[in-house]
Amino acid sequence: MTSPRIKTAALLLSIATLQTAAFTMLPLNTAQAQDAANVTVTFTGIQSPTGAIMVGVYDTEEAFAGGQPVQGLRVDVAGPEASTVVAGLKPGRYAIKIYHDVNGDGRMNTNPFGMPTEPYAASNNAPARMGPPVWADAVFEVTAGENAQSITID
Amino acid sequence: MNRRSFLTAAAGFAAVAFNPDVLYAASAGVGDWTLGVADVEADLAPQALRRVHGRAPADLAGKLYRNGPAKFHRPGGSVSHWFDGDGLMRRYAIDDGQVSLSARFVDTAKRRADTAADAVVTPGFGTPGSKRASVGGADDVNAANISVMMAGSELWALWEAGSPIVMDPDTLETRGPKTLRPDLKGMPFLAHPRVDPDGTVWNLGVAGRRAVVWRLGADGALQSADVINLPRASYLHDFTATARHLVLVLQPWIHDRLVTPIVNGYSWRPEAGTQILVIDKADLSRRRVFETDPFFFFHMGDAWEETDGTIRFDICTSPDPKFAVEGARAMVEGRKPVLTASPDLRLISLHPDGRTRIERAGLAAEFPKADPRFAGLARTKTAALGYGPGDNPFHQTVDVRDWKRDRVDSFDFGPRHLLEEMVFVPRPGGSAEFDGWLVGTGINLDARATELHVFDARRVAAGPVCSWRADVALPISLHGIFKEA
Repeated sequence: MTSPRIKTAALLLSIATLQTAAFTMLPLNTAQAQDAANVTVTFTGIQSPTGAIMVGVYDTEEAFAGGQPVQGLRVDVAGPEASTVVAGLKPGRYAIKIYHDVNGDGRMNTNPFGMPTEPYAASNNAPARMGPPVWADAVFEVTAGENAQSITID
Repeated sequence: MNRRSFLTAAAGFAAVAFNPDVLYAASAGVGDWTLGVADVEADLAPQALRRVHGRAPADLAGKLYRNGPAKFHRPGGSVSHWFDGDGLMRRYAIDDGQVSLSARFVDTAKRRADTAADAVVTPGFGTPGSKRASVGGADDVNAANISVMMAGSELWALWEAGSPIVMDPDTLETRGPKTLRPDLKGMPFLAHPRVDPDGTVWNLGVAGRRAVVWRLGADGALQSADVINLPRASYLHDFTATARHLVLVLQPWIHDRLVTPIVNGYSWRPEAGTQILVIDKADLSRRRVFETDPFFFFHMGDAWEETDGTIRFDICTSPDPKFAVEGARAMVEGRKPVLTASPDLRLISLHPDGRTRIERAGLAAEFPKADPRFAGLARTKTAALGYGPGDNPFHQTVDVRDWKRDRVDSFDFGPRHLLEEMVFVPRPGGSAEFDGWLVGTGINLDARATELHVFDARRVAAGPVCSWRADVALPISLHGIFKEA
């Protein structure tokens, strides 16, 4: 019975990119001030009030599947909820994936067979379906001004 | 035909079409053994069983826990394999000659998702599932439906590709997946741990050509978990152990394709033969591989080692995996039974010079069980269940094979009973092998009720010394344990 395991291992490969991108503010798709869009992202259902939530924001399906995010953020966790603002985006279509770095070691931990041992999620609460959440389920529209996303973590 | 009779006929057709059991029964006049794979709709509140035969042994007291699939069909889509039904934990409490039965479904993520969808959307061993299913890890598809163990004060419902699911041993309330150490969350845990006489628990979890070797104390606490490599990605449902060695039989049913359902990803390669991997418990890097003829198997008995180093164990083998691939599907799909060769009880000897010898018991049987006080130690007896004639896939005889005296002590319940695995319970104060009882359950098809039977393990042919009957028939379960009072 290996199928779910192996397929979900693919998830890691894509989420692992967050680890290198989380602190890299990339200017690729950052908006000019006049049409800037902000997304307030709220995280709920946090089971362990420790560590940080690592956030990756993507503007293409390819990047979401395993490329570089347009923004990476680290959000400290101290209770059952947390939030952050992804600022300065160009209006358009985006998807977010996150993992909860519960032990704060800066990595998405996995068990010896490569399955995540720390919680992960995506925008729209897109489910994992025998593999990582996909762009079609996670994509949302960002318009000029203020936007909101709520992601349930655990 | 007037409109009224047409509607009546149409309604009847609809009922047939939507109930696979009825469909097959109506079309082929099948035996009513399909009661063994009937759905249970709700948990069972404690009920007293009625004694229908004999007298209860005065010093037999404790709880028989049994687990097995019990919910197969849902309006929007059903399982397509016997092994994919939701696990129902049954608890038979025996005390002072009285028996109380209760049963609760293991409250798994799979059962919650399928219940919410009113359809079996979760993929399984032989069920493809739906793209609608949310599957982020093994425990999202964990049916917790194969077996059960006690780990300290916790009752664990076991599957084989996910975590143990913790239950309350008295109320059978589900507490959730067990994480033995944070970095081992979601690691697989087979349904057939081996327990040393001192209570040390050995188990495996398998992922392709890698396995984790679990070692737990008698209190259920993790002592070690080490990842080892395997020579091939065999389907491994069970393994065995001597006092010094782990014994892994690597059958030539090998996972080589990443497809859904999982069973379709295995290839039967008899030309590759069977490999038997023997691993030193004290140093997992010390290993030896034996080669023998190809066979398929699910279950083994405890192993032991002779003074000259020869390792022996019993095993129920089949010529091929046809039952796992086809037979167990047809059982729950209401199709004509797929006739498959009955498993054959054998004793395998691994000699120090590398020779492998296979001795046949001349007994078609499954669910081998031994006296747990002799786990890893030399012994002579194996209890198992034998088959009746016809297309009934279940069991009707209780057999005890004596390897030393080359004889079988057997009791035949006849074709109107579907038997479930018998476990051995030692007689308090006794120490000789099989000084105690075989305790097991089954369905009485005439009474349409589940029964509990107790045998004197050394006088099986005399029939049960006591039998009790429930008010309901619970579907056939797979494996159980007896927790002495």
